Amino acid sequence: MTTTSSSSNFFNIGYACTTQQLLNGHADKVALKFIFPDQTSVDYTFLDLDTESNKIANFLSTTLSIVEGETVLILLPKTPELFFSFLGSLKHKAITGILFSSLGESAISERIIDSNATCIITKKNFLKKINFSKELYPNLKHILLIDIDEHIDATILSYKKLLAQASTMFIVPPTSPEAPSVLHYTSGSTGKPKGVLHHHRSLALQKKTFREVLSVQENDIYWCTADQGWVTGVSYGIIGPWSNGTTQIQYAGAYTPEVWFNILESEQVNVWYTAPTALRMLMKEDEALFTNYELHHLRHISSVGEPLNPEIISWGKEVLGKDIYDTWFQTETGAIMIANRPGLPIKAGSMGKSSCNEIFPVIISDDGVPLPPKSEGNLCLVAPFSSLFSTYLHYPDIYQKKFIHSYYFSGDRAYQDEDGYLWFLGRADDIINTAGHLVSPFEVESALLEHSAVSESAVIGVSDPLLYEKVVAFVSLKSGYQPSKEVELQIRLHVSNRVSSTATPQEVYFIDDIPKNNSGKIMRRILKKQYINEDVGDTSTLMGS
Amino acid sequence: MNVQSELNQIFCKVFNDDSIVISGNMTSANIDGWDSMSHINLILTVENSFKIQFSQKELMRQRNISDLIRDIEHKLQSH
Repeated sequence: MTTTSSSSNFFNIGYACTTQQLLNGHADKVALKFIFPDQTSVDYTFLDLDTESNKIANFLSTTLSIVEGETVLILLPKTPELFFSFLGSLKHKAITGILFSSLGESAISERIIDSNATCIITKKNFLKKINFSKELYPNLKHILLIDIDEHIDATILSYKKLLAQASTMFIVPPTSPEAPSVLHYTSGSTGKPKGVLHHHRSLALQKKTFREVLSVQENDIYWCTADQGWVTGVSYGIIGPWSNGTTQIQYAGAYTPEVWFNILESEQVNVWYTAPTALRMLMKEDEALFTNYELHHLRHISSVGEPLNPEIISWGKEVLGKDIYDTWFQTETGAIMIANRPGLPIKAGSMGKSSCNEIFPVIISDDGVPLPPKSEGNLCLVAPFSSLFSTYLHYPDIYQKKFIHSYYFSGDRAYQDEDGYLWFLGRADDIINTAGHLVSPFEVESALLEHSAVSESAVIGVSDPLLYEKVVAFVSLKSGYQPSKEVELQIRLHVSNRVSSTATPQEVYFIDDIPKNNSGKIMRRILKKQYINEDVGDTSTLMGS
Repeated sequence: MNVQSELNQIFCKVFNDDSIVISGNMTSANIDGWDSMSHINLILTVENSFKIQFSQKELMRQRNISDLIRDIEHKLQSH
């Protein structure tokens, strides 16, 4: 067994999710029911979580000499090792980031370089995507592969072998709430994705909102379908449930309605946290499908990632007999800020109200003045609060621009009604929200320009009934290339493999020239208007006009 | 080249992984990165390479690589 207790590591996320739970009497309680794609499953207790994460913390600190504050990245599909590694790395106070496993080569490379990672935990067939070289990654000391038995060389090591040699005892060092903890990457409308750094203090709000907003009770079974490569998968697919001692399901397979509903029924899930795109896909199924499942254990469904259409709420009530509650937060806020929740009357289509008594959403004008109810403005939050990020790595100036006076500007436009409910109106920038994933048009445009046939590119998001928004690309080809199905396919695959599958343009249009203003900035507004056949408005700044 | 070999090359290209060796009972669970978005890329590439088109119904029925090969072969024979 394990370990020591100290009030000074109370804020350590890894400690709170494991050792603290043993002290709370949950050693033998199932923490994780991991369901593999073939639907076999393995249960891990909180004692298992503690032991496995202790071994990882030990080999990181002792065998690999990773020091506190260095960055460990995890590049894995949903596997038990992902969860153990995340907790072990945080116990050792390494800055810990989970990369979405469908990221492409250049997206992975940019994140390794930007984060100054010294260690990556991954699997053998991702080595190609990492494309390791000392010149490219001078700080990277170790790549640990979970699926090899022996070390390959001094850099590429066997996770299994390190684990087998590691002690199960680990003393979590004193951890200040201000110690850096989790690193996420988020898309920007300009520039490359930025590292969003959180601190161990985020635990307080993640723990509280899990209990109070998602309304998960002590002996509930909880299932969050989000991938751990994104903030929801970390805040509410790891930290929220386990810091509250909750049993959670993780399913490693792909979306299949029958399998999902079989899990909800057979695992007796009480609270399900999922995304509007998944719910919209379910809405397309024959309603008879849902009559095959007995879901009396399921109290409610919560949703995150995109605005929840009123039609989904009606469908949930009529077809499943369940309320669906929309929640809103961002990578930067770390925890749910605005929500509908049990006990609060649902206004269909609304984002809901403040998630708790520590969070104060306000609608602010562009020059920083609070606006009265029913006025459209910038959705802001009164700062600081415990789960708020502390910086964008290497971009302190951009971080500073997110604040005016004591308000954090979310980048969303919204209004508040007389009852305090908030209503989402859209983004203030060009970021594309496709199936709950934020995609940077700049990142996709950059990838497109790498393709040998492309001379110019522009990317926009347009409304889509399933994905909320879809990625649409406009490209002009170099001389010697002709538009064809073959080129379009090459372009799709190129973006998928360089950036990520979620960034793949759903439509590609070949045009002669990309509209730009006199300073060379891509006029995405013009393309959007053209796409939906609207008047393009004032084009006086358009290059050549 | 038979259908399985050509399909194997398509998988390597779509998932950017030369080490993929497909077999009949493989599903999305066996190949990293085979999600709903990359599935669209896969189907478009298959259709383009074999000069065939799948109906929505056929796509919904395909549960593994064996089903995909069967549908490709069926369409090539009826050409």
